[in-house]
Amino acid sequence: MIRFLKNRIARGANLRQSLALGTLEFELMEILWSDGQSSVRDVVPKLSRPLAYTTVMTTLDRLFKKGLLDRRKSDRAFFYSPSFSRLEWERRRAGNLVAGFLSGAHPSRELLLSCLLEAVGEHDATLLDELEKKIRSRRKELLRQEQP
Amino acid sequence: MMLPYLLRLLCLCLASFFVLNVAAGLLVRISSKSTIRFAESRTPRAAARLLLALRLLPFALAVLFVVGLCVPSYLWLEPAATSERVGPICATLGLLGAATLLISVVRTANALFASLRHNRLCRLTGSETRMPGESSPVVLVENEAPLLAMSGMLRPRLLISRGVLRALSAEELDAALRHEHAHRTSRDNLKRLLILLAPDIFPFVRPLRSLERTWSRFAEWAADDQAAAGDSSRAVFLAAALVQVARMGSGPSLPFLSTSLLACDRDLSARVDRLLHTTPIAPAQTWQPRPLLRSAGLLLAGCLAAFLLAPPTLSLVHEFLELLLR
Repeated sequence: MIRFLKNRIARGANLRQSLALGTLEFELMEILWSDGQSSVRDVVPKLSRPLAYTTVMTTLDRLFKKGLLDRRKSDRAFFYSPSFSRLEWERRRAGNLVAGFLSGAHPSRELLLSCLLEAVGEHDATLLDELEKKIRSRRKELLRQEQP
Repeated sequence: MMLPYLLRLLCLCLASFFVLNVAAGLLVRISSKSTIRFAESRTPRAAARLLLALRLLPFALAVLFVVGLCVPSYLWLEPAATSERVGPICATLGLLGAATLLISVVRTANALFASLRHNRLCRLTGSETRMPGESSPVVLVENEAPLLAMSGMLRPRLLISRGVLRALSAEELDAALRHEHAHRTSRDNLKRLLILLAPDIFPFVRPLRSLERTWSRFAEWAADDQAAAGDSSRAVFLAAALVQVARMGSGPSLPFLSTSLLACDRDLSARVDRLLHTTPIAPAQTWQPRPLLRSAGLLLAGCLAAFLLAPPTLSLVHEFLELLLR
């Protein structure tokens, strides 16, 4: 019981630190997000490049320790499944990034906020430009229709 | 807990209100997705009406049950002299009912005061003026904020900033004013007040909020349609006005009991696309019930009231109340 609790606490702490993934880790997560619960043997043939069974096993184990995967033992093999959906992972990752910036020094906080505002402003301006273009073309269309 | 006759009635009313509001509210919440899908296939005006009715239904049903059935059955069938214990479940449900109602009353009072404060402030900082096509005076606020809103419940007043007046052409302004006028004629601010008054399912969570947001979207679309009045070029001018006002930046935060041209700026793109690409719907004639239909409705309501107030129904309700009391 104590070991279970210790593992849980450690996994929670790891999760906060390690939402950033390496290439192989991300590929494995992608496979598990699309296929659901799978064993090492299920995952190996779906990889984009041939990798040793033990490499995949070690990486999956690392993802489990990071708190990104859950696993259950069936016979002698482990079956891994994602601890949360891809959307949730992305949300947490974005949250961590922002929290990291906001907990930093004052200039870094201001930098993040000004970048965000700038990005939103640019997005808004682009959207409004597009809408205005649509309005202009619709006006032209209506004018053409009115002319005999 | 021993309670006197009338306090017991109050506790029972609140508990029954809570139970019914939760039951009907959950049914509405479960069916909301399919209702919204159905509403999307109707005209915005019909969709807004349907969603508003659905949002108010749990509250209306619960109030109708309490006022029309609980109170008469209790007063008629419960002997006044008896002293009865109120069980912990009934007391808890009663407290939850009281909390649900209290929260919505406080929320409504806050919104009313905020609206009154805002209107007073606008009148103090602005000046009343007449606009072409507007029957009542308009409050012109001397600033550059993107403000074009209809505020107030019983006598809604149009608020407009000098910045908006400068930014819009005459045709765009006319279309924008028509949009706000449509909100006035459909009494959208009063409907907002009703939404605030009708409590959600539970005291501190609001599962029916998605329904409210969708209603708000359809109310805006309906006002757009009414402003365009079946005229494609007016629809284009309204779309242009929306974009012009959006370009002025984020507007001042308005009280809940007011409608503005850019009420939901997340919906801006969809609204502009609708105005440009769909043939504007001409406003429907106000529906007048035919005399025969009206008589049939009255007869049906009478029959329903007679059935509900019949002794067997009241006895059944009394049994339910006794069960709740334990």
